[in-house]
Amino acid sequence: MNVGVAHSEVNPNTRVMNSRGMWLTYALGVGLLHIVLLSIPFFSVPVAWTLTNVIHNLGMYVFLHAVKGTPFETPDQGKARLLTHWEQLDYGVQFTSSRKFFTISPIILYFLASFYTKYDSTHFILNTASLLTVLIPKLPQLHGVRIFGINKY
Amino acid sequence: VNHIVHNGGLYKRPFNEAFEETPMLVAVLTYLGYGVLTLFGYLRDFMRQWKIEKCQNATEREEQKDFVPLYQDFENFYTRNLYMRIRDSWNRPICSVPGAKVDMMERVSHDYNWTFTYTGRVIKGVINMGSYNYLGFAQKAGTCQKAAAKVLSQYGAGVCSTRQEMGNLDKHEELEKLVARFLGVESAMTYGMGFATNSMNIPALVGKGCLILSDELNHASLVLGARLSGATIRIFKHNNMQSLEKLLKDAIVHGQPRTRRPWKKILILVEGIYSMEGSIVRLPEVIALKKKYKSYLYLDEAHSIGALGPRGRGVVDYFGLNPEDVDVMMGTFTKSFGAAGGYIGGKKELIDYLRICSHSAVYATSMSPPVVEQIITSVKCIMGEDGATVGKARVQQLAENTRYFRRRLKEMGFIIYGNEDSPIVPLMLYMPAKIGAFGREMLKRNIGVVVVGFPATPIIESRARFCLSATHTKEMLDRTLKEVDEVGDLLQLKYSRHRLVPLLDRPFDETTYEETED
Repeated sequence: MNVGVAHSEVNPNTRVMNSRGMWLTYALGVGLLHIVLLSIPFFSVPVAWTLTNVIHNLGMYVFLHAVKGTPFETPDQGKARLLTHWEQLDYGVQFTSSRKFFTISPIILYFLASFYTKYDSTHFILNTASLLTVLIPKLPQLHGVRIFGINKY
Repeated sequence: VNHIVHNGGLYKRPFNEAFEETPMLVAVLTYLGYGVLTLFGYLRDFMRQWKIEKCQNATEREEQKDFVPLYQDFENFYTRNLYMRIRDSWNRPICSVPGAKVDMMERVSHDYNWTFTYTGRVIKGVINMGSYNYLGFAQKAGTCQKAAAKVLSQYGAGVCSTRQEMGNLDKHEELEKLVARFLGVESAMTYGMGFATNSMNIPALVGKGCLILSDELNHASLVLGARLSGATIRIFKHNNMQSLEKLLKDAIVHGQPRTRRPWKKILILVEGIYSMEGSIVRLPEVIALKKKYKSYLYLDEAHSIGALGPRGRGVVDYFGLNPEDVDVMMGTFTKSFGAAGGYIGGKKELIDYLRICSHSAVYATSMSPPVVEQIITSVKCIMGEDGATVGKARVQQLAENTRYFRRRLKEMGFIIYGNEDSPIVPLMLYMPAKIGAFGREMLKRNIGVVVVGFPATPIIESRARFCLSATHTKEMLDRTLKEVDEVGDLLQLKYSRHRLVPLLDRPFDETTYEETED
């Protein structure tokens, strides 16, 4: 056991997204990113929205679906070492409230971005591609799946 | 304004426990703090990998760089990037007996805590708020020390054998009879190490086909013992009797998972005082549940023996219950008795069985004689059998200190967790930077405290933990309170909103998921 640990939770990463205030912090973070992008004078409103969408999806992909394991040692003999954070959430139980929240939020961002870019075709292609990169790994059928062996170990 | 307590008829005294919820702004700022630290951690790791910054961690040898890596360096991320920054608040070397005041060796670091050098100066008289010295028996002079020195010259320091072979001294028999009389049980057995008492004896009591219901915040020794035993483990919410009752009902109605056979034994594992929360177990309700559903109770009184109760006999004495209701009473001598080791007390058949079948009894060396004498003298002192009233005075002084300290901290506006009567006082810090800042500022003002953060506690509940002692005089407590007040103003730690009606239940997420064993 990790010395000095005050709870019997095997992997604290599974509970982090459920903690009090995490969803609010995430929403505020996205809002802050958007405001920063809107403040840059070179970007028009559609460009700022598409950039928000793309950067948010990139960040979500990297932190939830690319990085594997835990940043601390856990007493589970490495069961979570090859799992991404998304797969570790709630010990792999699907359709919990955190998972639903983090699935719906890129979709909402996509709707907002589509509206503000007036459905222009270049923006549409970019936004849709970026949404797909972040929605497809969240499907329960892809739990633990590594296509072409990318990111397996 | 009083809450209506469930099962109020079982409690003979008011049970005041409160865990004030994290304010939302503080939670958001805490997450931002960890987020910024994580981003900077990635940046520093990137710079170390591309040799822009010197890597001071242990790395693989040059010749073995092409092999499959031995360690996953992501697992060390927090240690490298967060823990190292505030590492000087832990592992501080002390060089005197850890009484109410302690001497610490001063150390400085010139490379941001990667290495420490000793300046050679000794910081004298640091007020010790971190040692588990509840009754003040960590002394280098006094009756206990004289008796222990005499036994040392008579028996020597080592026993060089296990209890079952040649290591059963008459001192051990005397100690066990005394401990059994102290607790009010039929018989007791003592072991050389408190952690080993739990981890080696739970496997002797339960096995495959049994069910263990363990509290969420149980100590690592209980968790290790439960895992080693091979029994099925189910966890109930901390001190939550509704959760425990639901688990008991489910267990009895549904039986074992696939075969639906009844469980061979159901064992409830609880602690007297939880050392990180300062909460006291709801023992009257646990005993009522145990009797109703016919299960067994294992009570770990590591922190509560000697520290609670009008006669210092632990949490059973505190609630005024019958010690025979608890099937296995376990405790350690490390905290209130100033010694080392653990004990298990219960019925004579149980203890006789443990004498034969416990791993600790068969393989571990028995307790060293001077330590045994220290325990005998301190227990006699607490019971008042040595003729003086020092023991009783200390128990009362600890209770007064606890009440005073907690009341003053609450009045100042800090968020304090736990029961009003527990000598462990967790003061909430929440943000990662404040953990390091609090430890360092208190040491600058000559007060030593213990601070804890994520992942040892939940992510938004980092805390500083004060352990009160009977030897803390009122001047020491006042001085500590004054310094905590100053540091609290400096670091803006006074988050409490002084709710009139405190939250009785610890705030927890509605549904939590457990790791499934496959």
